[in-house]
Amino acid sequence: MNLRCGILLVLTAAAPLAAQGPRQRLAGHVPPATLAVLDSIVQDAAGAGLPTEPLIQKALEGGAKGEAPARIVSAVAASAAQLRSARALLTSAGESPPSDPREVSAVAAALSRGVSPQLVGSLSAALPGEPTGPALHAVADLVGHGFAEDSSVELMVEGARLGLRGLRFLDVAAAAVQELQRGRSHSAALASVRVLLPHLPAPPRAAPAAVSRARRVQPSHERP
Amino acid sequence: MKHIDPQVHRVLDGELPAEVLTASQREQLAALTRAAEALSALPRASVAARVMTEVRRPPESAGRRVARWLTERHAVTISVRPIWSLALAVVLAAVAVIPGRGPGPILGDQEGIAQFVGRFPGARSVDVVGSFTDWQSGAVVLRDDEHDGIWRGTVVLPVGQHEYMFVVDGERWVTDPLAGRYVDDGFGRQNALLFVRPIVR
Repeated sequence: MNLRCGILLVLTAAAPLAAQGPRQRLAGHVPPATLAVLDSIVQDAAGAGLPTEPLIQKALEGGAKGEAPARIVSAVAASAAQLRSARALLTSAGESPPSDPREVSAVAAALSRGVSPQLVGSLSAALPGEPTGPALHAVADLVGHGFAEDSSVELMVEGARLGLRGLRFLDVAAAAVQELQRGRSHSAALASVRVLLPHLPAPPRAAPAAVSRARRVQPSHERP
Repeated sequence: MKHIDPQVHRVLDGELPAEVLTASQREQLAALTRAAEALSALPRASVAARVMTEVRRPPESAGRRVARWLTERHAVTISVRPIWSLALAVVLAAVAVIPGRGPGPILGDQEGIAQFVGRFPGARSVDVVGSFTDWQSGAVVLRDDEHDGIWRGTVVLPVGQHEYMFVVDGERWVTDPLAGRYVDDGFGRQNALLFVRPIVR
C-alpha cells in the first residue's frame, strides 16, 4: 500500500513537468512578444521530426542574455535551419531516418563551428552506424588550430579504422594540438599522433576530492 | 561453627564410654564419626605433590592466552590533560559539521564530472550558466575559497555536449578562455563547448 502511494505521489509530481510544453518552459524567460513565434518554430521542428531541445535552449539563452526579441527569433530560426541541414546530411550519408536527436544536434553544432558539410558523408562512411558528431568536432578542433581539413579527416578515418569511437576522437585532436604546442609543425604533429593510434592518452580523470565535492546540476525545468 | 560437646569430645578421646551420652550427644557423636570416616577415605596429597602437579601442567598456548585476555575484564586507565580532550572534542565536532566532506554523489552511467575554473580578480560572484541550467543563474556558482581571484566549481552533468558561459557579478557574460572549443551563440558572442564523459570505473 505504501509503495503504491509512493508511486502515485511521484507520478502526480512528475505529470506537470512532463506536460510542460515549449510555451510553458519559455514563459517568463523570453520577451512575451516572441512566445507565439518561438512556439510555432518549435512546433514546426517537432512536426518535421527534428530535436526541439536545442531550439528551446537557444530561446532561453537569448532571453537570459537580454537579447532583443527579433534577435532571439532570428537565432532560433537559424538553429532550426541548421538542425534541418544536419539531419538532411545524415540522411544523405546513409543514416535511416529518424536520426538520433543527439547526433543531429552534435552535427548541427559542428556545422556551426565551420565544418564543411561534405565531411559528414566522409565520416559517416568511416563510422557506419556510429555517431559522427565527436569525430566532426575533433576535425573542427584541428581546423581551429590551423590544421588542413582533409588531413584532419584522414586522421579521424584512420582512427575509426583502428577502432576509435565516440569521444575518443576528441583525444586525437587534443594529442595533435599538444604536439603543435610543443613546437612541431602541423604535418609533424599529425604524423606523430598517427603513430600513436589508437592508443592515445585519455584526458586526466577528476581528482577524488573534487568528485566528492561535486554537486548534481538540475535544469530549472526539471526542478520540483 | 558448632562447638563439640565436651562429653562427646571425651568419648572420642576414649576417656568415657559412649553409654554415658544423651540422645542428642549420641547423634553428634555419630555425625562426627561419619565425617572422620569420609576424610580418611580421601587420597592423601602433600603440599609438595600439589605444587609439582601445577608445575608439570603444559603451558597455555599463545592463542588461548590472547583469547582469555580479550574476554576477561580489565581496568584501563587513560590519563589525558583536559586541554587535549577538549581539542579532540572540537575536531570531532568540526568533522561532523563541515559540509561537503562526505563520500560525494553516486554517479550514474550517463553522468560525468565537469570542473570549471576562471580567473576573475575582484569579482563578487561567478556563475556558470549554460544548456545544463536552462541558461538560468544560480545552479552552478563558483567559489574563490583562496581569495586569489581564481574561481572554481565541480558539478555532475549528463554525459554529452553542453554550451555555457560565465556570468560575472550577475551581469557580465564572459566566454571561458580555457575551454578550447567554442561555438557561435547566434547573438554575436561565443559559447564554450563542453563534452562530458562518463566516469570510468
